[in-house]
Amino acid sequence: MLKNLAGLWRHRALVGVLVSRELKARYRGSVLGFFWSLLNPLLMLAVYSVVFAFIFPGRTASTSPYALFLFTGLLPWNWLAGGLTDAASSLTTHGALLKKILFPAEVLPLVAVVAQGVHFILALPVLAAGLALGAAGVLGPAVPVGWPLVQAVPLFLLEGVFVAGVGLLLAALTVHFRDVKDILATGLSLWFFATPVLYALPDIRSERLRAALLWNPATPFFEAWRDAFFRAAWVAPERWGVLVLISLGAFLLGYAFFDRLRDSFPEAV
Amino acid sequence: MTAPAAVVAKGLSKSYRKWGRTRAFGTLKSALLGRGFGAALAPSETVQALSDVSFAVQRGETFGVVGPNGCGKSTLLKLVAGLFKPTAGALEVTGKVSALIELGAGFHPEISGRENVVINGVMLGLTRKEIERKLPEIVAFSGLEEFIDEPVKTYSSGMYVRLGFAVAVHVDPDVLVVDEVLAVGDEAFAHRCLDTIADFSRRGKTIFFVSHSLALVEELCDRVLYLDHGRTKALGDPRETLARYRMDVAAEEGARLAREHKEEEKNFLEGEEGERRAGAAAPGVAAAPRREAQLPFEEKPPVQEERVQQATTPAAPEPLEQKESLPRRWGSREVEITGCRMLDSSGAERYAFRSGQSVTIEIAVAPRAPLSDFVFGIGIFTPEDVCVHGTNTELDGFLPSRLDGPAVVRVTLPALDLGTGPYLVDVAVHSRREAPYDYWRGACRFQVDSPDRSAGVYRPVRRWAFEGPIALERK
Repeated sequence: MLKNLAGLWRHRALVGVLVSRELKARYRGSVLGFFWSLLNPLLMLAVYSVVFAFIFPGRTASTSPYALFLFTGLLPWNWLAGGLTDAASSLTTHGALLKKILFPAEVLPLVAVVAQGVHFILALPVLAAGLALGAAGVLGPAVPVGWPLVQAVPLFLLEGVFVAGVGLLLAALTVHFRDVKDILATGLSLWFFATPVLYALPDIRSERLRAALLWNPATPFFEAWRDAFFRAAWVAPERWGVLVLISLGAFLLGYAFFDRLRDSFPEAV
Repeated sequence: MTAPAAVVAKGLSKSYRKWGRTRAFGTLKSALLGRGFGAALAPSETVQALSDVSFAVQRGETFGVVGPNGCGKSTLLKLVAGLFKPTAGALEVTGKVSALIELGAGFHPEISGRENVVINGVMLGLTRKEIERKLPEIVAFSGLEEFIDEPVKTYSSGMYVRLGFAVAVHVDPDVLVVDEVLAVGDEAFAHRCLDTIADFSRRGKTIFFVSHSLALVEELCDRVLYLDHGRTKALGDPRETLARYRMDVAAEEGARLAREHKEEEKNFLEGEEGERRAGAAAPGVAAAPRREAQLPFEEKPPVQEERVQQATTPAAPEPLEQKESLPRRWGSREVEITGCRMLDSSGAERYAFRSGQSVTIEIAVAPRAPLSDFVFGIGIFTPEDVCVHGTNTELDGFLPSRLDGPAVVRVTLPALDLGTGPYLVDVAVHSRREAPYDYWRGACRFQVDSPDRSAGVYRPVRRWAFEGPIALERK
C-alpha cells in the first residue's frame, strides 16, 4: 500500500490532464462554457437571498446576512457532495479504461474530486463579490472581512484530502455494490442537515444535539469555513489538529480499503 | 537465446469469480443484511480460466498465442499487460508494456483528437513533454491531419482505431502486447500495422501476439503457445504447434460434421420411412406428385450437370427460386441409397480433410428388384452451388451388368486438391437413360483445410521457376 501511495505522486500529470479533459468535455458544446461554473453559484446566491430575505426572514444575529452565511457553507458543501457523487461512480463509468489500459485506478476518483474542487475555485469570484457587498453592509449587517480569509487555502487542501479519502472508499464500494450510488444520494441529504450548512453550530440550544453533531466529521470543516469567510476569526490550533487528523484519517482509511480491493476492479467493473 | 527473458510465467493460473444469480446484482444492502460484508466480497464460485501455464519469452522474440475461443488467450494477455493479477503462480515482465487490446480505449468523445492523443499518451505512461514532442509524428502516422482538431465523436470507427494505434505504438514499449486489433481498419491500415509490428521486432522489442489468423501467427512469430481450456497444449516451433492446433480443429470439426451427418441421415431416412408408410395406400404413386411438383427431370442430362446448366442457361426459370424449391432427395427408388459416408485413406469415417489428402466417398445401395440398368454418380459442390466436380460410372467408362441385392460403391479421389472451405457431396443412382432412381442432394458435407492462404476452390500442387536477373528467397 505504501508503495502505491508513493506512486500516487507520479500520477499527478495524469490527474492534471484528466481533470482538464473532464472540465473541457463538460463545457464543450455549451454556449456559456466555463461561465456556467460562475453562473451556478451566482443563481444560487440570488435564490437563497430572496428566499431567506422575504419568505423565511427572522434569522439569528450570528447568521445574518443569511444569504452570505448560507453561501459560505454551500460552496464547500457542493464540493463535498459533488466530489463524493462523482468519485463514487468514477470507476464504474470509466470501467473500459481499467479493463483495457494499465491504469492506476485511484486516479479516477481523485480526478472527480479535483474537478469538483476546480468548480469551487471558479465560484470564488462570486463569493468575493458577495463578501465585498457584505463588508459594505449592502446585504444587511456589515460582515467582517480580513486576514483570516487566508485560512481558506489550508482548509481547501484539507477538505480535498478528506473528500478524496471518502471518495476512494465509495468508488471501491460502488464497483462491487451498485446500490451505493443510491444510498449515497439519500445519505448526502441526511448528512447535509447534520452538517452546519443551513445553521451555525453555536445557535443550537440543545447541548446534546450539539454534542451529537460534533461527531459528524464534516462539522469541523464547515465551522472552520465559516470562521474564515464569515466571521473573520482565526481557527484555533487544536481545531486545525482535529481537521488534519480527520482528513488524513479519512484518506488513509479510504486508500487502504481501495488498495485492498484494487485487483478486483478490472474484472468487476 | 542468451538474451534475458522479457516475460517469465511460472505455473500461472487465473480463476474468475462466477457471477451466479445471487451475486449478479450485488447490493450493499443485501451484503450488510445478509451473509455479511466479508462473505459478499469473497469469491463463492470460480471459473478456472488459466491453469498452470509456464513459459519464458526472450527479449526480442515474437511470441504467439493461439487456441479456440475461451481457451484463456485474452486472460493471459491481460495478465501480461498487468491488467489482471494471477490467482496463483508468478509472472515477471521486464520493461515497459504497451497493450494493443482495445485501440482508442479512453478517448473522450467530446474533446478533440489532438487533446485525446495527449491524454491517451499520458495514460499509457508518457510524460506530457514526451507526448507533445511526439505529437506531430503520431498525427502523421494516423493520417488524420485534417481532422485532428475535431472532437473524436465525429470520427468513424476506422479513424478512431487508427489514432489509437498511432498513440499506442509511439509509447515505445519494451513489450508490445497485441490482441486481434489488426482485424479492424482497412487493408492498407492493416498492412501498416503489420509493418509497424515487424519494425518493432527488428528493433529487438518483445512482442506478445494473440490472433485467430493462424497464417499471420505463422508468419510473424518465433514461437507459439497453444492453449486449450486454460492449459498448455503445445509450445514451441510455430509450424509444429500450429499444425497440432489445426489438427485438433479439424478433428473437432470432423467430429461435428460426422455428428451432423448422422443426425441428418437419421432424420432423412426416418422422413422417407414415414412418407412411404403414408403413401402405402396408393403404392407406386407416392413419389409421383412430388416429382412433378418439383422438377421435370426425366429428359434431363445427368443430374450433376443439370444444376450447372440451370445456372447458365438464360431460358431456365429463376435459378434462385428453383434452388429453394429443389427437393433434397428424389427418384423412383427402384434402387435406394441406404447410406453415404466419407472415408480417409485409412478407411476411417471423416468429414474434415487437408487439401491434397485422399478421400473416398462410399455409397450403400439396395435395389427393390434385381436390375441391370444403373449408373452411380457423385458431385462435389460449394455451398454457393458451384459444381467443383461431377462424374458417374457411365462417364468413367463402366457398363452396368447386374445389381441383385444390397451393395457398396466406393469412389476414391487420391488427391483432393481443393481450397479451404466447406463442400457438399451429391450422390445419385439413375438409369442409363438418366431417369433417377435415387438422387440425394447434399448427402455429405465436409470441410477442407489448406496449409497456405492461397485463394480459390482449386488448390493444385505448384512449382515456381524464375529465369533471368531475378532473385527470390524461400521464407
